[in-house]
Amino acid sequence: MPPSAAGFSLTQSVALVWRTLRSMRTALILLLLLALAAVTGSLIPQWPNSPERVLQYQAGHGLWGAFLQRAGAFDVFGSWWFVLITVLLFVSLVACLVPRTRATWRAVRQRPIQAREIDAFRHYRTIAVAAGPPEAVEASRRVLVRHLYRVARAEGTGDPTALAAEKGAAREVGSLLFHWAFILLLFGVIFGKGTGFSGYAVVTEGHTWVDARANYDGQIRTGRFFGGDFTGVGIHLRSFESDFRDTGQPMDFVSHVDLLDPQGNLIRSQDIRVNHPAKIDGLNIYQTAFGWAGVLEVRDGDQVLTRQDLVLSREPAPTGVPAFAMPWHGVLKVTSVRPQMAIEVELYPDSRALAQQLQTQQPVPMLVAYDPVISYKVWRGRLTDPSPTSLDTTFMKKTAEGVVGGGLTADLRTGKQLDPGRAAGGLTMSFPDLRHYSVLQVTRDRGVPIVLAAAILILLGLLPALYTSRRKVWVRAEAHGEGSVLQVGGFALQRKPQFEAEFDKLVEAIERAIDDGGSTTRVSDGSDREKVGSR
Amino acid sequence: MTDLQWARISQDLFNVAIFSYLAAMVGYFAYLAFQRDLLWKLARAAAGLGLAANLVSILTRGLAAHRVPWGNMYEYSALLACLVVGGYLIVVEGIYKVRSLGGFVMAFAILTMAIASQFFYVTPGPLVPALNSYWIKIHVQAAIWGSSLFALGGIVTILYLIQDRRERKQVDALRSQEPPPIMGASLNLDAPHDLVDDAGAPMSAATTGRKRLPSAATLDTLAYRLIAFAFPIWTFAVIAGAIWAQEAWSRYWGWDPKETWSFITWVIFAGYLHARATAGWRGRKSAWIALVGFVSLLITYYAVNLWIVGLHSYKGF
Repeated sequence: MPPSAAGFSLTQSVALVWRTLRSMRTALILLLLLALAAVTGSLIPQWPNSPERVLQYQAGHGLWGAFLQRAGAFDVFGSWWFVLITVLLFVSLVACLVPRTRATWRAVRQRPIQAREIDAFRHYRTIAVAAGPPEAVEASRRVLVRHLYRVARAEGTGDPTALAAEKGAAREVGSLLFHWAFILLLFGVIFGKGTGFSGYAVVTEGHTWVDARANYDGQIRTGRFFGGDFTGVGIHLRSFESDFRDTGQPMDFVSHVDLLDPQGNLIRSQDIRVNHPAKIDGLNIYQTAFGWAGVLEVRDGDQVLTRQDLVLSREPAPTGVPAFAMPWHGVLKVTSVRPQMAIEVELYPDSRALAQQLQTQQPVPMLVAYDPVISYKVWRGRLTDPSPTSLDTTFMKKTAEGVVGGGLTADLRTGKQLDPGRAAGGLTMSFPDLRHYSVLQVTRDRGVPIVLAAAILILLGLLPALYTSRRKVWVRAEAHGEGSVLQVGGFALQRKPQFEAEFDKLVEAIERAIDDGGSTTRVSDGSDREKVGSR
Repeated sequence: MTDLQWARISQDLFNVAIFSYLAAMVGYFAYLAFQRDLLWKLARAAAGLGLAANLVSILTRGLAAHRVPWGNMYEYSALLACLVVGGYLIVVEGIYKVRSLGGFVMAFAILTMAIASQFFYVTPGPLVPALNSYWIKIHVQAAIWGSSLFALGGIVTILYLIQDRRERKQVDALRSQEPPPIMGASLNLDAPHDLVDDAGAPMSAATTGRKRLPSAATLDTLAYRLIAFAFPIWTFAVIAGAIWAQEAWSRYWGWDPKETWSFITWVIFAGYLHARATAGWRGRKSAWIALVGFVSLLITYYAVNLWIVGLHSYKGF
């Protein structure tokens, strides 16, 4: 009955919305909407997964791209409409669950209800037995209990000649468990992501990295309720190993690390590899990537201007070129001299592979360090770009370039490599060592155990919800001469065809059980079977 | 034997399996057309032979690669075909005694394997580090079992829709011939199948002489059973995948295309199960949902690996 516009009060509209949300139809439509939203999220590139592809897509789609940007289609799973659908779905879920849970709670505690007319049920048989009504019903009760039925004698009247039995409450209980577990899941996700964070640690062999905001490489992703409580745990990278097949396919990457407490004491040593993260103090530490750090020392005569393990990054490979065939890049800045100096370096970790590459003009992956070579350019002038990884040469002039091999020293004024053992004077750069660095992802998500528990409950609830079925059985006995006539009625709510045989077996079992106490004669043999089929 | 020889045997048996399935398909369809028991027996024998070849091919592939034989799309496809055919022979023909669906199942298996050998073949070798985990045994196994049962359910659903349409037409024809009974109607033509007590009875009356496919009610129940069987397995596969992702990729869920599509498939089949319990959505409407789920499963399996870039798209999964 749709209320008239005038009489459409607030309570009425709230009630209407509530009623709509409570219906299975609404839940179903919301569920399919959620699927539809997820489809968009998989077809359009997503910012959190691949920002570069989003930019590419936007560049190629002009107005349409701008529209999608406004609609939040590049971050579907964080967009207001995805959240809205999810929230509505969960509200609808709770609206469905609360009354259902209450009803189930009542039903489970309630004794099975007696039936007035047993012969009205789909499955119905009568058997004549020698035992008296109370004994016959008692025997039936024992059989039903053995078949896992919950049995109740006729209530109130204390009638010993009738009973009602039920089984399969697990179906509804399981279904409720399955659905409630999603609320727990949602809570676990929000709690974990909300209080958690994720960032990258770049650690060079021989160095120690400490969990503090400033030490993360680039941005860290923090949850909405993240309190800034970093642990101060230290990761000391003893060494890093990588393993490749002949084809260049990676086999294994391992960081051998010492995990230190905030005071710098060793907690334990561990290997971190793909699929085997380290777990410490609520942090999970994952092997993500690796690269080379060149140990470089710039001197002016006897004075060391800078010595650092310069972290180099690999140039992106064009399509068709193996990633490891590309040289590694970096820039070393020296601000203490006038004019300021920047040295651009390009590392070729494997000179054999490099030679092969130059010879065959084919890209050859450089997988291991073997006689590494650095080619460099020296710039002098004013450093304007504060970033440690990029260089702006607008106010600078290139003064020299050259190459320097591992363990050797180059004269930065002439660009010539000095003979080993020769005393170096003037402005020089030496390249004593090449080390690995390891990129570790550090995350914290305290919700994981909750989410896992919810997932287990979902599965546990699902099984009985799908595979058990509810059955109801009633028995009543009436005195008939010496013995009695037993009426047995049954009704299945699920898997009705299977109940046919189940019911027959049950009646036979009851018959046998009573038989043990005396002889039985069947009163309505044959006709009962017809009855079963005709209803 | 050397790895190369094992790989060779595996490949040969793969082809034997395809051709046996092809023969079985022809046999099953001939059985549908001519209803001769001999044809069915021959088809079944061919299917059995194909299944054996398929199985041994998978095992030898594992021997050649020194690892579980489901490390990439090619291997996954072979296993999927094997489980769909095996599941059909055991569940549909064995337990439900429905013989007439074989041709369609074989067609699915052939298509899966043909696409695999055409587009996905790679020589057996070790796995990339991210796949090298014991979770590959658990997660991928569950995903294959779930998909093969969903696929069977999808095939049966298509046949249900065909048969249902045919039956409705016949019922309409019947109704236009006979005046409707006035009282105590013995034939309730309007009731949906699952509300009619003995669903088969009135329908078989309407379909006498055309018993090539099982009744729509039988197909409907069968499809439901298969999907209800597959659903928890799929749920488990998604959960196992999430646990693995937490170990390998640092988060249990990141809306990677494969994750997204397995979620979409899950949601659609969850919708199907709910629809079957909702008045007004039973029968054809829920069957259409199952069909959409089937399409979503195929997208999860093929499209995500081939066209959508994500973490799962290293020539493996």
